[in-house]
Amino acid sequence: MEYLIGIQGPDYVLVAADTVAASSIIQMKHDYDKMFKLSEKILLLCVGEAGDTVQFAEYIQKNVQLYKMRNGYELSPAAAANFTRKNLADYLRSRTPYHVNLLLAGYEEADGPSLYYMDYLAALAKAPFAAHGYGAFLTLSILDRYYRPDLSRDEAMDLLKKCLEELNKRFILNLPSFNVRLIDKDGIHDLERVPLGQKAA
Amino acid sequence: AMLSTHMFGENGKMKEYHYTGPVEHKFSPYAFNGGTVLAVAGEDFAIVASDTRLSEGYSIHSRDSPKCYKLTDTTVIGCSGFHGDCLTLTKIIDARLKMYKHSNNKTMTSGAIAAMLSTILYSRRFFPYYVYNIIGGLDEEGRGAVYSFDPVGSYQRDTYKAGGSASAMLQPLLDNQIGFKNMENVEHLPLSLEKAVQLVKDVFISAAERDVYTGDALKLCIVTKDGIKEETVPLRKD
Amino acid sequence: MALASVLQGEYADFNSHSGRPFSFASESDGLSFSVKASLHGEDAEGPERKIEFLHGTTTLAFKFQHGVIVAVDSRATAGSYIASQTVKKVIEINPYLLGTMAGGAADCSFWERLLARQCRIYELRNKERISVAAASKLLANMVYQYKGMGLSMGTMICGWDKRGPGLYYVDSEGNRICGDQFAVGSGSMYAYGVLDSGLRPDLTVEEACDLGRRAIYQATYRDAYSGGTVNLYHVHSQGWERVSQDDVLQLHQQFQSKQA
Repeated sequence: MEYLIGIQGPDYVLVAADTVAASSIIQMKHDYDKMFKLSEKILLLCVGEAGDTVQFAEYIQKNVQLYKMRNGYELSPAAAANFTRKNLADYLRSRTPYHVNLLLAGYEEADGPSLYYMDYLAALAKAPFAAHGYGAFLTLSILDRYYRPDLSRDEAMDLLKKCLEELNKRFILNLPSFNVRLIDKDGIHDLERVPLGQKAA
Repeated sequence: AMLSTHMFGENGKMKEYHYTGPVEHKFSPYAFNGGTVLAVAGEDFAIVASDTRLSEGYSIHSRDSPKCYKLTDTTVIGCSGFHGDCLTLTKIIDARLKMYKHSNNKTMTSGAIAAMLSTILYSRRFFPYYVYNIIGGLDEEGRGAVYSFDPVGSYQRDTYKAGGSASAMLQPLLDNQIGFKNMENVEHLPLSLEKAVQLVKDVFISAAERDVYTGDALKLCIVTKDGIKEETVPLRKD
Repeated sequence: MALASVLQGEYADFNSHSGRPFSFASESDGLSFSVKASLHGEDAEGPERKIEFLHGTTTLAFKFQHGVIVAVDSRATAGSYIASQTVKKVIEINPYLLGTMAGGAADCSFWERLLARQCRIYELRNKERISVAAASKLLANMVYQYKGMGLSMGTMICGWDKRGPGLYYVDSEGNRICGDQFAVGSGSMYAYGVLDSGLRPDLTVEEACDLGRRAIYQATYRDAYSGGTVNLYHVHSQGWERVSQDDVLQLHQQFQSKQA
């Protein structure tokens, strides 16, 4: 079962996504990247209905890139989130709605880091931390308990690991590994893929 | 029955008596009219055969409704399933064959007809022709060819194939007698026309014994380089 | 399977159950337990049950150091009736691209035929061969337009391009996944078992062929809906090559005598 998480700090956003691509009960791929790079400092994390996820995320991605080509500057994370939401909302009332749940994380010089939560009903919320999937039930309380706005990067990483370890402990379906990325003023950084199973108590 | 109301609701209660929720009237544009078709390919001939019974449910509508349709001098098609769709389909094929002949000044080969039929069937993928088709004919080298189809256009070339209501009775017999399936130390003799004709008659007589939708008469279309010869054999009429 | 449910039972009903429950909001992620072409729905014993759709099937493909091995069975079933034992489930798209067939036979052959045409047009326009990634995306985009309407196909697009061996899984749900090994169909679990346990990075061509053949054979042994013959292909830098076609009966005797 798919899982996305994002944690915003004072000058960065930390995001993680599971890496499983499943078809019915079979794991077809174990290193599947569910993050889409919208621009130099914006990531879109996407889970949901098979097919819809990639089609919708790539559609948004290409349009954000087109915007940059036409106008010579990039959409801000807030603008990209609202653009994504509008599209999702319009498709929701069409004959072909996209069943996708999203997290949008980005960094902009003026506004600093930001994280947006969006579900398939096109609800959009700016949040200091957010999660999608069944795993969210287990981990949101951890985030509520331990999150502070002034979290350092190492502390945020520890908090993320705490969440993933809880998943590993309580969630019946084990997710073997997670892609982790961090966005700050310098752009998107790939962090070590977190494999689970060995450290979990 | 083409238009029918359910006498009983989902929970088995009688509709007139208990309230069973909204009454549904379902209309189906499909029916199953039974019938069996069979095609066999030999070295230099092909046989397409069918029974001539047309039925629906427990009633027999006609005892003289063969399901073999001549398409060209070297191609015959056998259609069973929903008779209405069989007629529509064969008329469409006939029209397409005429169009091809007028624009190309030659008749379509069996292989080309098979490929065309596949696309015709798939064009109705979301509202299919409820027809099982088997084409028998000669290929460009003059060898016997059989092409079998599913209702939405998947097809392949075979050497023998049964389709329709008694297909599950005929096919194993043919596997044994023509395909020599699962046999050791047998000579794989090429099938002679005489043996093939006799075999087709025998399997249909057998099918008429056990399948209510197969009977009345058997019509054979024997395709050779000299043309199509027809033959009719009586079957059980009960 | 949609077709089966369209024509299933006493009357056809193409309004309500189009096979797939219109999954919306019911499941929060992509995991649904309706195994492709479903384990239900073959109960109707009406005369209309015998609509052929190839859902019982086993197909597999895997990358190794010398290219891609593709192995498939050849059985077609309609309910419990074996409609054919001689189906060609490897579709030769062009001399360097192969597609496999699972799900609706007509769906697979029709869309992969259309893909072949698109690939040829690409070649003529661009004066170079289409990549496996692009070809698989063409197919995925074509069938995605029909999502939810009842198409049923699970296919692997296998080939060789500038990037080396290529292998993509594409299905009518909209999935398109690049990978090193896949198995598709009702016997896929059995095939995965043998495949995963026998796969090594240093396999020779012959060993890889034996592994593919063995995996399909074991799947036909356990899965009633798979059987017939094992067709085996090897895709290498010069395009694909048909390696073998073995009757499962013969393979069984061969493997039994080796074991003894």
